[in-house]
Amino acid sequence: MPVTREGFEPLIVAFCCNWCSYAGADLAGTSRQTYPSNVRVIRVPCSGRVNPGFIIRAFQRGADGVLVAGCHPGDCHYHSGNYHARRRFTILKQMLDYLGIEPERFQVRWISGSEGAKFSAVMNELTENVRKLGPNRKLRDAR
Amino acid sequence: MSTANGKIRSSAAEALAEGRVTLVLGWRKKDFWWQSPVAFVESAAEAEQLTFDPFSVYNPVKYLLEAAGCHEKVGVFVKGCDSRGINRLLQDKRLEREQVLIFGLPCSGMVDPVKIRAAFPAPKICEVARDGEELLVRLSDGQERVQTADFLLEKCLTCRHPNPVVYDRLLWERVPVRSGVDALRFARVSSVAQQQIQERYAYWTRQFSRCIRCFACRNTCPACNCRSCIFDQAEPRWLGKASDMSDTLNYQITRAFHVAGRCFECGECERICPAGIPLQELNRRLIMDIDKYFGPYEAGLAPGDLPPLGTYRGEDPAGFDES
Amino acid sequence: MRRTGVFICWCGSNIAATVDIDLAVAAAKKMPGVVFADQNKYTCSEIGQEMIREAIRTHRLERVVVAACSPRMHENTFRKTVAAAGLNPYFLEIANIREQCSWVHKDKETATDKAIALIRTAVAKAARNEALFASELPIERRALVIGGGIAGIQAALDIAENGFVVDLVEKEPSIGGRMAQLDKTFPTLDCSACILTPKMVEVAQSEKITIFSYAEVEKVEGYVGNFTVTVRSRARSVDMGKCTGCGDCMLKCPVKVDSEFDLGLIKRRAIYTPFPQAVPNKPAIDRENCRWFTAGKCRVCEKVCPAGAIDYSQEDELRTEKYGAIVVATGFDPKKLDNYGEYAYGKHPDVLTSLEFERLLNASGPTGGKILRPSNGRPPKNVAFIQCVGSRDKAKGNPYCAKVCCMYTAKHAILLCEKVPGARPFVFYIDVRTPGKDYEEFYNRAYEEFGATYIKGNVSKVFPDGEKLLVRSVDALSGALVELEVDMVVLANSVDARAGAKELAQKLSITTNAYNFFNEAHPKLRPVETHTAGIFLAGTCQGPKDIPETVAQASAAAVKVAALLGKDSLLSNPTVAEVNEKLCTGDMSCLAVCPYGAISEKMLEERRGRETVRRKVAEVNMALCQGCGACTVACRPGAINLKGFTNEQIMAEVEAICL
Repeated sequence: MPVTREGFEPLIVAFCCNWCSYAGADLAGTSRQTYPSNVRVIRVPCSGRVNPGFIIRAFQRGADGVLVAGCHPGDCHYHSGNYHARRRFTILKQMLDYLGIEPERFQVRWISGSEGAKFSAVMNELTENVRKLGPNRKLRDAR
Repeated sequence: MSTANGKIRSSAAEALAEGRVTLVLGWRKKDFWWQSPVAFVESAAEAEQLTFDPFSVYNPVKYLLEAAGCHEKVGVFVKGCDSRGINRLLQDKRLEREQVLIFGLPCSGMVDPVKIRAAFPAPKICEVARDGEELLVRLSDGQERVQTADFLLEKCLTCRHPNPVVYDRLLWERVPVRSGVDALRFARVSSVAQQQIQERYAYWTRQFSRCIRCFACRNTCPACNCRSCIFDQAEPRWLGKASDMSDTLNYQITRAFHVAGRCFECGECERICPAGIPLQELNRRLIMDIDKYFGPYEAGLAPGDLPPLGTYRGEDPAGFDES
Repeated sequence: MRRTGVFICWCGSNIAATVDIDLAVAAAKKMPGVVFADQNKYTCSEIGQEMIREAIRTHRLERVVVAACSPRMHENTFRKTVAAAGLNPYFLEIANIREQCSWVHKDKETATDKAIALIRTAVAKAARNEALFASELPIERRALVIGGGIAGIQAALDIAENGFVVDLVEKEPSIGGRMAQLDKTFPTLDCSACILTPKMVEVAQSEKITIFSYAEVEKVEGYVGNFTVTVRSRARSVDMGKCTGCGDCMLKCPVKVDSEFDLGLIKRRAIYTPFPQAVPNKPAIDRENCRWFTAGKCRVCEKVCPAGAIDYSQEDELRTEKYGAIVVATGFDPKKLDNYGEYAYGKHPDVLTSLEFERLLNASGPTGGKILRPSNGRPPKNVAFIQCVGSRDKAKGNPYCAKVCCMYTAKHAILLCEKVPGARPFVFYIDVRTPGKDYEEFYNRAYEEFGATYIKGNVSKVFPDGEKLLVRSVDALSGALVELEVDMVVLANSVDARAGAKELAQKLSITTNAYNFFNEAHPKLRPVETHTAGIFLAGTCQGPKDIPETVAQASAAAVKVAALLGKDSLLSNPTVAEVNEKLCTGDMSCLAVCPYGAISEKMLEERRGRETVRRKVAEVNMALCQGCGACTVACRPGAINLKGFTNEQIMAEVEAICL
């Protein structure tokens, strides 16, 4: 059944680092800062652990948007993981854009453990932006 | 050219005869005028077949991975671009400097057979040889002279390092860097980048739709020098087997990402691609971004430094909305 | 497929009100490998945990998935539960269906769908979980306390009392911190110095404690039990071994600069101790102002020093030491008032900050304890105290309450009345906040016994008016405009995090909140720990606090340190990187990004046909690896993997979460 634009509910996969962004997501929960259930979080120790292969696979399997969230620059629990992530994903994001894949679908944000409200706001924003873009058909596999 | 051939033949023969190396990598002429593939020479006598002509475009460096394991010391002829491949292998710790005797060949550019064929569609081309600034094209019905510059490969027209950057012996005089190189280097990338996103997607999927997933681009690339490639692994399966656009994009994105900051622009991926996919264009896009975000960097110049994706600065700008 | 059990928690109504548990259980039963699924009202309760243990036994479960609250809450609890039933603790996975599902979504249908997806993801990951084993690490039985204020002093004393060696690092030439600057303390009005200085002396005399004053932490490496810290002791230009602390140099030094300790109300010399009771009571030369260092002449101190202790050639000293635990107690800074021009601070000498007023009260302060107007040296009659300057002010200050101002202002009002007969305090406040033992009573005394006038209102402006100051405000209770002529204005400026807190946090690999106060591991249950094991917090560096709270937290941190250092060994984190030598190319891309120096090169000998060949591969030091996984992405062939977060596990999660 084809997904119509009107009935379209985007799937957002968020890779969150354990120390900041996952804690921020927990804080959003503790303080009941709601966001759409379209967002599903995968917990990783650090944004530097996120392999671009995971992101591409998520898009292949039907994610309409992917977020990598980590500690703010300078705050990485592991000193430098997010700095490496910043370089890697700067390159990846430009490449996706260059290949004609909407860069809005792939976001990297810094969300600290005390930014529950920000986590929720980012999720709301990302979900709405991806909803406007419609389903990801460019990277999605045929299955 | 005959002096060039004389020099490489005598250099190789001498090194082999003296026992300084037991194998020399160069080029030899094969069946067609446009083919000068990599030659493996193990004796002074065999050195006579070595050729350096306008089609010695093949990068012999990738073969060092195998060769250096079987021979104590290998001689290798390198053009400017090839020499950066040596540094690539040194930086990747896939080669020790003492394992190779490097003969540097300053290179004024390789000729694109496609351009020659386009200029001489009808008669049979028998040989194309360099003669000073000109090319001597020997045809079945005579011969013609043309300006070399009009027939060079795109990668040679945009080459910033025609002279070897690492060598033990330089076989002849250095050549000047072609003028206007910097302007041309990113011209293809920029023209695609200026298109609308849907046009870019259409452009690239049109290119990639021809990809037969033969992995030749990976196999020939000196930067793709892993013992075991993730594309060949079963668990986790990073790359699906189906040859559809989704997995082709996965393959091409991952391949480009793995050479990001490491690609030294030898263009072998694009040359070898049987489907004619402009892979160098994608690689150059990444080089452009690395220059823009992390500061100018050229791979394969200094084997001691860290590639841009192996390091960071606290004040790096981000290529995404950091808010 | 692994025989997997799924346990879905209601968490009372916390989850069950938003997620259809029956539906989730039914869905879980159909997931690959799941042989058992059930629900429980409170899975973390003893009954809930017993259900898991029982199911592991009867259903021969190999993997366990608990769908409940965040793994940050109960992952360890349930790891112990499965371990008690004989499974490796790392066979457990948590699906976070509370914080990241039921608490943030309202629609039951979509929340249930998401909960099922999260459970499916956890099941997929669990199937790829492998047994992990912690190894034992030695502990360095020595503690580092950063900051020599009352928090650091108390922590150091208590750690020493527990029998451990402590190094106390203080940035200033003397320990004592902010408390040393205070006159009396609320609500008892004991003299601050009288209760602080004995503790300072106790620190100095303790055999277990070494003070590194005029020193700062330069670099921190390592991990809990095994930190390696480099401390930079600034060149004091005074040989501490020779100096007797006679103070002759300070009398003769010709250079006068604003005293930091007295907030610029008086001058100190270029060679100085911050205050008379300094510990160590030996001066330091402030090279930025010393005439010898700035102009190349003088050397007066050298000439007058009877002990020959002056040494201009001293250099900064770097000292590297190993520590098992670190207490951070770096305190606070009073808020700078650059944004508050309307209060005429800096424009009129009789507008003071509360800490400056504190110095006027103090017997060893610039006025010898007499409250005198800086403008004319006469005692003030009417004094306006303005509360919440830079606190509770989202627009241009801190949104938070600085916590101590209401109480110290009550104290200031009382002390003003005691010291200046006939003086009248007027306190402008937003709310008066006095939670604390005997605090409300103390505040009551200020207006009942001493007649302080409390006016609820935000002061809009302070005008210098001849010799006087005009304070304009609104009385929020009556709505009337208030214009008051006073002789002195005291601004209760907010409590800021210490300048440099952010940089220190980065060195320590701990986090700060938006205002640069260090974050505790849990706001309620782990208030003195940080997220970095082995690093603890004490005092106002974590947030505004009064002295009793600071001391209590310092003692609490000391107990945590003692408990840690008292162990024979620590169990290492087993979720560390691991090299697949078959895949490893040996290009050491992993090493380049490892922040812990945990990766090294190793020579491997392997058979190749009839030959033995040697090749380089990467090797991980499990004690140094902290499990960040940066190496796993740097490694192109995927030869280095992170246990507990393997490529296989995360790929399986991605596949499952997108279904």
